[in-house]
Amino acid sequence: MDVYGLRGPLQAIAEEMAVSEEEEAEGDEEAFVVVRKRPVTSDPAASSDMYCSDCGTPTHSGQHTHHRVVPLPDAVILNICVCMYVLYVCASVCVCVLQENFGRQEQNLEQHYSDVLQTLAQRNSENSTSLQDQKKQKLEALYGQLLACGSLLDTGKELIENAQELHRCTNRNEEVELKVGVSMEFTTPPVDLTVVKQMMESINVVPAPSAPVMNPQVVNSATTSSLRVCWSLFSDDTVDFYQLYCPVYMTVPSPPIIRLQECLSCLEAALVRWDSGNTNPVESYTLELSEADTHSSVTESIVAIPTCECLVQLQPWKRYVIHIRAVNIGGASERSPPITISSTGTFFPLLKETAHPSLSVSPDGFTMFYLDEDLPISEMVFSDSNFSSCVAVLGDLIPIRGQHYWEVEVDEWAEYRVGVAYEDTQRTSYLGANATSWCMRHIRTPSRHKYEFLHNGWSADVRITVQPLQIGVFLDYERGILSFYNAHLHQHLHTFTCCFHHYVLPCFALDKPGALTLQTGLTTPKYITHP
Amino acid sequence: MALTQVSSNKCCGGYQKVFEHDSSELKCKMKFGIYLPPKAESGKCPVFYWLSGLTCTEQNFITKAGSQQAASEHGIIIVAPDTSPRGCNIEGEDESWDFGTGAGFYVDATQDPWKTNYRMYSYVTEELPRLINSNFPADPEKMSVSGHSMGGHGALICALKNPGKYKAYDATVLAASYSGPELDILIDQGRDDQFLSSSQLLPDNLISACSEKKIPVVFRLQQGYDHSYYFVFSFINDHIKHHAKYLNA
Repeated sequence: MDVYGLRGPLQAIAEEMAVSEEEEAEGDEEAFVVVRKRPVTSDPAASSDMYCSDCGTPTHSGQHTHHRVVPLPDAVILNICVCMYVLYVCASVCVCVLQENFGRQEQNLEQHYSDVLQTLAQRNSENSTSLQDQKKQKLEALYGQLLACGSLLDTGKELIENAQELHRCTNRNEEVELKVGVSMEFTTPPVDLTVVKQMMESINVVPAPSAPVMNPQVVNSATTSSLRVCWSLFSDDTVDFYQLYCPVYMTVPSPPIIRLQECLSCLEAALVRWDSGNTNPVESYTLELSEADTHSSVTESIVAIPTCECLVQLQPWKRYVIHIRAVNIGGASERSPPITISSTGTFFPLLKETAHPSLSVSPDGFTMFYLDEDLPISEMVFSDSNFSSCVAVLGDLIPIRGQHYWEVEVDEWAEYRVGVAYEDTQRTSYLGANATSWCMRHIRTPSRHKYEFLHNGWSADVRITVQPLQIGVFLDYERGILSFYNAHLHQHLHTFTCCFHHYVLPCFALDKPGALTLQTGLTTPKYITHP
Repeated sequence: MALTQVSSNKCCGGYQKVFEHDSSELKCKMKFGIYLPPKAESGKCPVFYWLSGLTCTEQNFITKAGSQQAASEHGIIIVAPDTSPRGCNIEGEDESWDFGTGAGFYVDATQDPWKTNYRMYSYVTEELPRLINSNFPADPEKMSVSGHSMGGHGALICALKNPGKYKAYDATVLAASYSGPELDILIDQGRDDQFLSSSQLLPDNLISACSEKKIPVVFRLQQGYDHSYYFVFSFINDHIKHHAKYLNA
């Protein structure tokens, strides 16, 4: 910005000041006092017509009689005072602009010089590396020479001996010439400093523009493959182009992946679990829920889910389609592939991580096998979560205190335990043997099938004449009951009455090698719900 | 077939009544207790026939078993007949506690002098249901039978000899051979029952017979209970619920 450019606005300011100052109260500068007084008094004798050079102030004729007083025409007075003020304003504006420009220049220069220094340092290190290499080569050559010298010395010694011999015979002189074969001069590679020179010269060309100010990323301003980046700059900078580095901006995340096999449901709720599927940071997830049969758009969204699972309340007897989106500052991802959940029964798979090492669980998570060949104890891997004595596994029941029903299919030779247990039931203990598990047990004796309904190591004495091969298990938290049925016959076998203070998980065990299949997602039969 | 009301008491929202009538099968006056649940005031209800044990009258069950609460809840009519003809002046009918009066065994006698009056099987399976269905808001399609001791045996006989007639059955004792629609039999047996320990009851025979015939029975041996009505009172709710499952299906 040049001073001439300021002229126009400054004049305007000066004129404005000249007018407004007239209305101001009596000021501290005498020049203004004079200006102000002029229109007030029409008496020419009263106006300042002289200038006292001793006091440095305009005055009236007749005053400052002992000072050096010179006459002062009105127009001059006016011009002086206007000019003084204009200069004052002008100077202060200039100082501001200069200060700002200096600051920026200083910053640019600093940047530039640090670049130059960096380049120089780089060149220096390049040169010194080549010199080091030369030095090494020369040293190696010298070493070779030294060895050669050693052998020459030997030769010399022989020669001397020969010479002495010859000397005895004849008085002939022989010269031995030794020469160092390595040049003692280093060749200094020419240093190309043109770049540095250019850099030095470029300092005084057009000042580098000020750094633009990056605006923070605006919410929902990105897609998976694009970003909107905004910045601001000083209007008087000349800019050819911008270079964009944007580590702080994020594209929207990829859609999460729903873990279909680990999603649970019952009449009143569903527990949806998913994988982030993102390396980009995800701030939260949004779950979108719509009824499958209505073809409506989203009926409900749950936002700001911090983790990769969500328990969502449902209406019974409906089908829902659920999508998940991942959200970060850039916006929300595409919808994940959908999952359809029916709130018609309780759906859950087996919890493989709780299975005894001898137990294998089918890939679909619904059948468990206890194979005939026993693993040696040394090959069994135990953790805190799996059963270590009882060949058992838990089911992943949704934590909802409602009614749940599932069925277990067994063959007539299977010796099993099915029931429920608290999540923290002792993994070293047998199901039904403690206060934290309730189960029906089938044992084959040579003469008959024996059934036990075990809790805390005690069983009711019950005889069952028809062997149940499809066992219905009904859990009702509200009434505090756990009932067992022969599902084929709709026959009630036994009911435990207990207030389950914590959430329970279904449990299954095989006491002898065999298989057991779980059926979930079934509607509770009417003969159980409406007795 | 005129019914005479002997008593009526409000109970659990409904009414516990006793009626007397002239029985055509038994040729004598017979009494029976009937509980009408609140639901019977507005519609037809299934009927649960209770057959009592030796020496009992229609009074024992209705005063001691506490069945009205569950019957009220499930909307079931309970009919409790007497256990034998009375006042027939047959020689020797009052001599023994387990034969004659109070010991009809729910069978039709085939020999004189008993065969005229002692037709309890026909009475409980034919005459009484007819009487109930025509005089009370009873659903004739839905009936079930249960009993205690001799009555339990009677209930089993009724059920097994009349395939499809009764929806649900249970008893406390005895064996059977059966072919017909699927049954669902619930039996409770007190473990300290004096008749069990004296081998007068043979539940193992019943269980093995039922196992062989694939008749579904759940037999529960209840620790510490004896043969008394305290035992009946303790488990009557389970049994009414068991019946309700079929009667209200």
